[in-house]
Amino acid sequence: MSIVSQLEYRFNLFVDTCLQPILFSISEVALWTAIFRGGNIESLNGFSREYYFAYALWAAFFARIAANWMYEMRMIEEIDSGSVNSILVRPISFFEFYLGQFMGYKILTSLISILVPVVICLMIKSSTQLERLPLALLLTFYYLILVHTLSSIVSSFAFFFNRIHALTVTKNFVLWFFVGELFPLDLLPERVRGFIIALPFSSGVYIPVGYLTGRVPLKMVGQGFLSVTLGIALFLGVYAYLWDLGRKKYSGTGA
Amino acid sequence: MSYVIECNNLSRVYESYRKEEGLINSLRGFWKRNYVSKTALAPTDLKIAGGQIIGLVGANGGGKTTLLKLLSGLIYPSSGEAKILGFNPWDRKPEFLRRISILLGQKNQLWWDIPAADSYNLLMRIYDLDLAQARKRVKDLSEILQCQDQLHVQLRRLSLGERMKMEIIGALLHKPDVLFLDEPTIGLDIVAQTSIREFLIEYVSDHDPTVILTSHYMDDISQLADRLLLISQGSIVYDGSVPGFLNRAENKQKLSVELKRPPTTDMSLTETLTLKANEKIFTAEVAADEMGLVLEKILSVSSVHDLKIEEVDFEEVIRDFLQKGLRNGANVDRLPTRVSI
Repeated sequence: MSIVSQLEYRFNLFVDTCLQPILFSISEVALWTAIFRGGNIESLNGFSREYYFAYALWAAFFARIAANWMYEMRMIEEIDSGSVNSILVRPISFFEFYLGQFMGYKILTSLISILVPVVICLMIKSSTQLERLPLALLLTFYYLILVHTLSSIVSSFAFFFNRIHALTVTKNFVLWFFVGELFPLDLLPERVRGFIIALPFSSGVYIPVGYLTGRVPLKMVGQGFLSVTLGIALFLGVYAYLWDLGRKKYSGTGA
Repeated sequence: MSYVIECNNLSRVYESYRKEEGLINSLRGFWKRNYVSKTALAPTDLKIAGGQIIGLVGANGGGKTTLLKLLSGLIYPSSGEAKILGFNPWDRKPEFLRRISILLGQKNQLWWDIPAADSYNLLMRIYDLDLAQARKRVKDLSEILQCQDQLHVQLRRLSLGERMKMEIIGALLHKPDVLFLDEPTIGLDIVAQTSIREFLIEYVSDHDPTVILTSHYMDDISQLADRLLLISQGSIVYDGSVPGFLNRAENKQKLSVELKRPPTTDMSLTETLTLKANEKIFTAEVAADEMGLVLEKILSVSSVHDLKIEEVDFEEVIRDFLQKGLRNGANVDRLPTRVSI
């Protein structure tokens, strides 16, 4: 249904899948070009300019896949306004309904917007190993289940408080750092880096992009799958608890 | 006797934050919240046998939607228990949800961004329906409701009446045994109201579901409901037939007359109604059994340009009923809320 909905709005889909990734990629590449030219350096922390370019290009793409703020806002709004009633009276859970919507949207937009980094990679000298792309994508899409679980936890707070959008913004800011979107986690001190990579969030951007650009070995991708699985199990427990508690408080507002 | 709907001591209390106006009170409320409790539904016992249509009426905020939400499992009660088709509604078991449907007239349940036909496709999968049979059902229902042309138009582009027809098809797609209809005709024009009402009458006679219907329109209740429950301030204060209710209520009609030659002196029409001198347009609520007499007196002094007799708004009938109960010394809010139908 999500794909059908997206196809109804052609202009928005064009901006979302074409214009936005192009502008995002240009700004990322411009940023790293400025860093290398400004510092008059050829490598940073042992990694070449090409590595950072490739990282910036793919991080922009994977970070867009891994983001869920739009659906999270919608989920919050559904509970806040009482529109969630239409799901509660049907034999489907809020979690699975929105997971389906979210995945459908991500599959469609990724299929189109992946053309941007692929074309740029083919045009410029880049340290991308495109044959690694399927596994990298698989990890990120698996990570989306974790992202969705986190969004479900945040939206459950809407049962207790109205207007909780600031929580989404705060959570996204923290994730922005932990996934490796803000900058490559390679730039962090070794111990901090090891700790952050062990967390499931690095499977959103850092591990898949590192794997794709040759920085991260296959073994770490396996660890990524494991840590995401553990993260999903943990956060699902938190979500189930909050959801049950919230449902008892829910007043079915607006209907 | 086995009942489709049974509830004991079912109640719901809402808590809400109360704040006086102004910045100072906002600052006070920021540190110390003042919560007030409101009993939306007082402890209620209710038993409803299968295949009946129950009209649930009451003033706004009376508790009827809260009762519907509780029975459909949308919200948890503050006390008590309920069994709908043998299920506890708050458990939201898929077997239970497949057998009920709720239509909220003031809330879209289909998806706004896509045509209803796409929403139905999704619903067929959610309810795990046989696709061929479900598609035939959509076709049949849309033919009866005469809305085949709107099936493939985005929901957001449909009129209120067209949308409601789509919502009705969505609510009936899985052939629910229990149907909760909350204001299914609200905001619709007369033509759309009539068409939906006629459809529901036909559907109910063909499929025999148990229906709980809330409405502000007397015609909905009088044409559809077998029994009527009047709910006021969270308590059921009347249980019985619709004609029985109307007999007990002050059955009034709204009279509007435009006179050609108004009387030159005041003229008494009934004990409480007077047609004033030189009053060209006369409007009043008249007891149904006094209407003939009033018309006779008016026509005896003047012929008329225009004459209109309308049903009094159902809200007013309910309000009169409750006021009458209070005038007669009965505290309607304390009447026992134990009902078997």
